[in-house]
Amino acid sequence: MNKNYIILTILMLVLAVGTLFLRMSNEPKQIDPEELLQEIIQPTRYVTTDQVAKMIIQGDPSLMLIDVRSTDEYIEYTLPGAVNIPLEDLLVEDNLLYLGIPGKKVVFVSNDDIKADQAWVLTKRLGYGSTYVLKGGINCWMQTIIDPQQPEETAAATDFETYSFRKGAQMYFTGAGSDDGGSNQVNVQVQRRQKSNVAAGGC
Amino acid sequence: MGPLIPNGVIGAGWDFVIAILIGIAFGFILEASGFSSSRNLAGVFYGYNFVVLRVFFTALIVAMVGLMYFDFVGWLDLSKIFILPTYLAPMVVGGIIMGFGFVIGGFCPGTSFTGIAIGKLDALFFTIGLYLGIFGFSLAFPLFEGFYNSGSMGNITLTDVTGIPAPYFALAFTVIALAAFWGTMFIEKKVRKNMKQYKF
Amino acid sequence: MSKDKIIDNQSKYINPYLGGVLLGLLILLTIYITGRGLGASGAIKSAVVSTSNTIAPSATQANAYMGQFVSDDHSPMYTWLVFESLGVLLGGLLSGLIFGRVGRFRTDHGPKITAKKRWLLALLGGALFGIGSQFGRGCTSGAALSGSATFAFGGVIVLFGIFGTGYVIAYFFRKLWI
Repeated sequence: MNKNYIILTILMLVLAVGTLFLRMSNEPKQIDPEELLQEIIQPTRYVTTDQVAKMIIQGDPSLMLIDVRSTDEYIEYTLPGAVNIPLEDLLVEDNLLYLGIPGKKVVFVSNDDIKADQAWVLTKRLGYGSTYVLKGGINCWMQTIIDPQQPEETAAATDFETYSFRKGAQMYFTGAGSDDGGSNQVNVQVQRRQKSNVAAGGC
Repeated sequence: MGPLIPNGVIGAGWDFVIAILIGIAFGFILEASGFSSSRNLAGVFYGYNFVVLRVFFTALIVAMVGLMYFDFVGWLDLSKIFILPTYLAPMVVGGIIMGFGFVIGGFCPGTSFTGIAIGKLDALFFTIGLYLGIFGFSLAFPLFEGFYNSGSMGNITLTDVTGIPAPYFALAFTVIALAAFWGTMFIEKKVRKNMKQYKF
Repeated sequence: MSKDKIIDNQSKYINPYLGGVLLGLLILLTIYITGRGLGASGAIKSAVVSTSNTIAPSATQANAYMGQFVSDDHSPMYTWLVFESLGVLLGGLLSGLIFGRVGRFRTDHGPKITAKKRWLLALLGGALFGIGSQFGRGCTSGAALSGSATFAFGGVIVLFGIFGTGYVIAYFFRKLWI
């Protein structure tokens, strides 16, 4: 009996000492390059300006816009309810709390979609799910929502539907004469993740 | 991959089925180890029965070390598991009060349930006491609400507090626990020799 | 119940280290599945809130402590820990049946006190444990064991609080047990 205990004691010690070496080879954690490539190839990370406009208008609580441009650009113009996290500050711990909230869709916004794409790759590597990129960025937003072009008369009926939606959205976002971009802040509640995401309460 | 339910691998509908199954395993292990008897439990404080120390600390170090390996293999994302929030002063006081409760009452909540299951009346009274205690706490809550919420430090781990990586704590706990297992083996033998009338 | 039978039972307990390893693996499994550890006192809290809510709903919802656990869409009993604790009861019964420890109602007490005194003390100890577990955000299984196992600072505080106090005061309560 005693002999078994000695073996078990040594086994437990070896296992415990082993954990010290595990972590070193394991840090920092990385997503498998193959997997990342697969995700990058997929166009599913893009959301269109129409989709975002619709979500903002409907007050979709699952939408979280993150503007990754500089603070100056953010102050000048941004989308309603967007939070400003300049790309260079993305990895600051406080800013990471915006990501990974269950049930939230994070959409990165930049002037075109390059910076937003970069932010998206970074968050993927950190292992966060449900992050998206605004296709075409603010430029596309301006072209499609703020200043929509009427389609040719020969265009398909769906184009006219899109156009009429965009016209409506234009009214919504620029409406009531307040044309200066910075002040169109819709009151959107910004939610941050708590350090743990499982409900507390009890033993 | 894990934890399964927070990651949506298992639907939330299975929650309560899993809860009962895990509970059954928990109760079985406690009872089979002898935790359904208050005299076994109290023995840890008097040196005549260290079953609490053995089971408790074996479980603790197995879980601690196991978590490290689970994280390494990628089964568990340690950042996603629930970390008990820390309220410094209330927890110290709570721990002390529970220490009194343990020595006087001879059970802790989980073990008293298994005691009831096999017909121990003292376990039943302990559980009634638990109920009354929590009820009394709720009624008197406004008196110490400030204290109850004081010292909040958030969901912090030992690593957050000390800066020392978790594996070192796992190793430290393992070494201490193993030393305690060997030490108490001799203490128990010695104490039991002097306690001829000891019966469970 | 004769003493012989009770002493006989002693040999039927499983090896404590085996029990410990199984319990440790169970904690791992529980964390793997649910993201959190085991618990027990939370179930009693749910029972308190739900009985109180049935008898005096308005007073309960007005209560600063219990009010936060009352919700409109389901009973306070409909929580993970209540189901888990039900399982603990069943598991204890199962083990008791397998190892032949289920018997008529009986009381464990030290040789120097009576069963009635033991009941009173168990009641008192339970009440203290109940109060302490609210301050400590969990009891031995929830805070001390599962909390410490996940390296939570608070779990370790409760762990040392319970066992530290236990050893310090054990001497003064020795007549209860030996």
